[in-house]
Amino acid sequence: MKRILFSIGEAIGRFPKSALIGVGLVFLLGIVGPWIVPYDPSAQDLTARLTGPSAEHWLGTDHIGRDLLSRLVAAARTTVIAMTIVVTCKLVIGVTLGTFAGFAGGRVDEVIMRFVEVFMALPSLIIALAVIGILGTGYWNMVLALVLAFWSGSTRVARGVAIGVLNRPHMEALRVLGASPLRIYFRHLLPATLGMVLVYVSADAGAVALAIATLSFLGLGIQPPTPEWGQMLVDALPYLDSNPWLVILPGLALTGVVISFNLMGEAIALNRIPVELRGKPLKRSHLIAATWQTQTADDAEKNVKA
Amino acid sequence: MTPVLNVSNLTTRFKSRERNKWITAVDDVSIQIGAGEIVGLVGESGCGKSSLGRTIVGLERQQQGHVVLDGTDLASLSGRALRERRRAIQYIFQDPYASLSEWQTVGETLTESFVIAQKVSPDQYDARATRLLDQVGLPTQMKDRFPRELSGGQRQRVAIARALAVEPSVLICDEPVSALDLSIRAQVMNLFLDLRRDLGLGILFIAHDLALVRQAATRVNVMYLGRIVEEGTSEQVHRHARHPYTRALLASVPQADPRIAARKGFVTLAGEIPSPVNPPSGCRFHTRCPLVQDICTRVPPPVQGEGGHRFACHFRFADEVLDQIHQGYVHAG
Amino acid sequence: MTTQNVVEVSDLSVDLLTKGGALRPVDRVSFAVGRGETLAVVGESGSGKTVMNFAPLGLMPVGVAVQISGSFRIGGVEIAGMAENRLRHIRGRSVGVIFQDPMSALNPLRRIGRQIAEVAERQRGLTTMQAERQAEDLLALVGMSDPAQRMKQYPHELSGGLRQRAMIASAIAGEPPLLIADEPTTALDVTIQAQILALLQSLQKKLNMGIVLITHDMGVVASMAHRVAVMYAGRIVEFGDVADVLVTPRHPYTLGLVNAIPREEDLSGSPFRGIPGLPPTMGAPVEACAFAPRCDVVMPVCRTRRPPLQALPQSSVLVACPVGIAQAGQRP
Repeated sequence: MKRILFSIGEAIGRFPKSALIGVGLVFLLGIVGPWIVPYDPSAQDLTARLTGPSAEHWLGTDHIGRDLLSRLVAAARTTVIAMTIVVTCKLVIGVTLGTFAGFAGGRVDEVIMRFVEVFMALPSLIIALAVIGILGTGYWNMVLALVLAFWSGSTRVARGVAIGVLNRPHMEALRVLGASPLRIYFRHLLPATLGMVLVYVSADAGAVALAIATLSFLGLGIQPPTPEWGQMLVDALPYLDSNPWLVILPGLALTGVVISFNLMGEAIALNRIPVELRGKPLKRSHLIAATWQTQTADDAEKNVKA
Repeated sequence: MTPVLNVSNLTTRFKSRERNKWITAVDDVSIQIGAGEIVGLVGESGCGKSSLGRTIVGLERQQQGHVVLDGTDLASLSGRALRERRRAIQYIFQDPYASLSEWQTVGETLTESFVIAQKVSPDQYDARATRLLDQVGLPTQMKDRFPRELSGGQRQRVAIARALAVEPSVLICDEPVSALDLSIRAQVMNLFLDLRRDLGLGILFIAHDLALVRQAATRVNVMYLGRIVEEGTSEQVHRHARHPYTRALLASVPQADPRIAARKGFVTLAGEIPSPVNPPSGCRFHTRCPLVQDICTRVPPPVQGEGGHRFACHFRFADEVLDQIHQGYVHAG
Repeated sequence: MTTQNVVEVSDLSVDLLTKGGALRPVDRVSFAVGRGETLAVVGESGSGKTVMNFAPLGLMPVGVAVQISGSFRIGGVEIAGMAENRLRHIRGRSVGVIFQDPMSALNPLRRIGRQIAEVAERQRGLTTMQAERQAEDLLALVGMSDPAQRMKQYPHELSGGLRQRAMIASAIAGEPPLLIADEPTTALDVTIQAQILALLQSLQKKLNMGIVLITHDMGVVASMAHRVAVMYAGRIVEFGDVADVLVTPRHPYTLGLVNAIPREEDLSGSPFRGIPGLPPTMGAPVEACAFAPRCDVVMPVCRTRRPPLQALPQSSVLVACPVGIAQAGQRP
């Protein structure tokens, strides 16, 4: 466990601050949202429809008088929960299948990877639409559709990572020690792969968030009255001319989440490229080195005297 | 003396990445290691020396031949029985950085070996670990350290302790000191000498550094393109080498004494080791041999020699002829 | 002789500023290399032998800030602290560089011929046609068979030895008076190493280059170099003609290194000679002899003051050890 936490911690340390703030904010709002929102996000007040920002409703209300701020925050919770479920599922499936394929090798590997390739070849949204088309709409059908749409990528990543780990001399040493395949798989391969894949997989959580919004926008995902950004967009479309903020704000929220996750993903992809040293750490190191300069000057004097 | 490890007619093939061609990395090789004996295996990269070591411990699959350990043919075993038996042969990797788990402390690494081998009762783990660390020259406090806190030499000692934890009778060391600093190499080499003496381990020492092998090993095998071209005692191979390749290899080592080096100049063996996908016909060395004759290109050479000193060459060149390679007079065209 | 020096370094210190603090891998070193001369820089990992030569040339990994003091002159031009856009013209034109791993220096996506021709175009102002012809000549010069064919190959199609030859060709394409070679043969087999060393020596004669050869192999030093600088923990501890330093080492560290080489008379199974203790780690400069903790002839003064590099009487050798100097005095 500590190794998984460690690799996550290490990865987070390298993320750009903007991504951390964005992702952190979404999760924070998703968790504590219900306790901090000023109004019930579903409570209608038909006497106060489409009001602009005011002291009572900071961001105004929508076409049936629901508080926009409360709905935006509540929608973050919807997204975070659905996204976490989907990402967890695809992580579990990906790591299990991927490490198994890498570990078993040969035929098993080939069969699993061919299957993965079929799914990789199909656009994820098409898969999702097809699944919902067959099973009908509903929260869990949407989750299943998204998992089926996204599992193949994480499986491929997990297999690649697993093969890399297996080829390390450390794993070979375990084989030479006569460790059983079960020990190698569960105690060494799985934890090492999980930590690394987790970071990769969470990076495309942005794509999952976008897919949830897209399905909801089409009326195939989250169903009303549960607040959701994609759905809020549809609801607000008729009022685009008169009350543009009703469209702009959920749009911005969604864009912010996707960009934050993408920045995180980029940081992961680029983490091998070190960043130039700047600012305070550089100054601190300069100060340390500066003391050596005076020391050596003293030293030179001493040498002359001696 | 019956050898503790008897490898006979071992052949290992890989599928090459390009065009799925088969590469014979190890071709019909036999090698014996006695208890308390260090056997050297030298050759250029790509000659198959690492593949041979890896095949013996089961990291590569053997196609033909036998690995007989203390009288048991490992080919007759499989699954759990094979794992338990083969454990008596341990492997030391070249890279001490990658061969330890970065997530385990030294103590945890050793404990895992005990758990795997189940030769020590759990209440003895700690005392055993202390003894092992002492045996490889590390203080007891090292138990709580992670590999990243250790120097290369210390890591290699930990890797050796991990191997010793399963009480092996044979160690296969693949370039165990070439990643270490010059001043540290001797310390680790002396550790191998001690282990051989104190524990009666048989050691197969794979290296490209001939001087190191000469001093460490009692017997030396020279490998070229998957085959052993010369074997004999350290003395025989280094002072009375009969195979032109061994001579050329020895002559290529730059001398550290400037008085000798200035006189000698560079002795170069033309060209590079050919691809094992299409090994040369006849004698595999004929493309680079300074003394090549017509027959070498057509007929594989017989193994000749006596008294444990054997070499694979059509000819039995006089010392004066072979000495020319040493002095750099002979150059292949 | 001084005017003939292709590189002159005096009182050079390099500080590396990293996230975790500051290190000084090179601490006040001075040396010079003349035309047609080879200086070997010997030391273990972390001795600063690579940083000393590469930091002033701007060849350091991204992520560490480098602070250089002292002087590093190539052909009389001060390059310590020079801006990157000017250093780019120095590299290739005034100094050629060979790395241990040719794959890291060659572009994997471009043909060998083009890469070498490009250096000739940029550094010597040749036209494309002239440069291509020049590249082919260079490949022949570094001993590649069928240079016209090799021109069209990619680095991954070549073996380690041929790649190293290709890199040497690109390093000398700008006809630099100075070549810095960092462990050029460490990754190669002995037979290929001999070929590459012989090539470097013949190129040096033809082009009258000065060579700085960074290595840890005393055999390479003895057969290639005229002079040698032995480095320990960022400092030069012994400097002089190879014939003097390797035959009668004065510094205990040099002595240890030379003794560590297995000799002909060592019997099979006899113990190896090494240096006790651990190699130094990079950090702040110490006001003492860095070798003192591992030294068997250490004196109290060694632990309190850095021993200065002093010339021995009637010798080419400079040594930073009071014991070594005293012993030299006793044996005239």
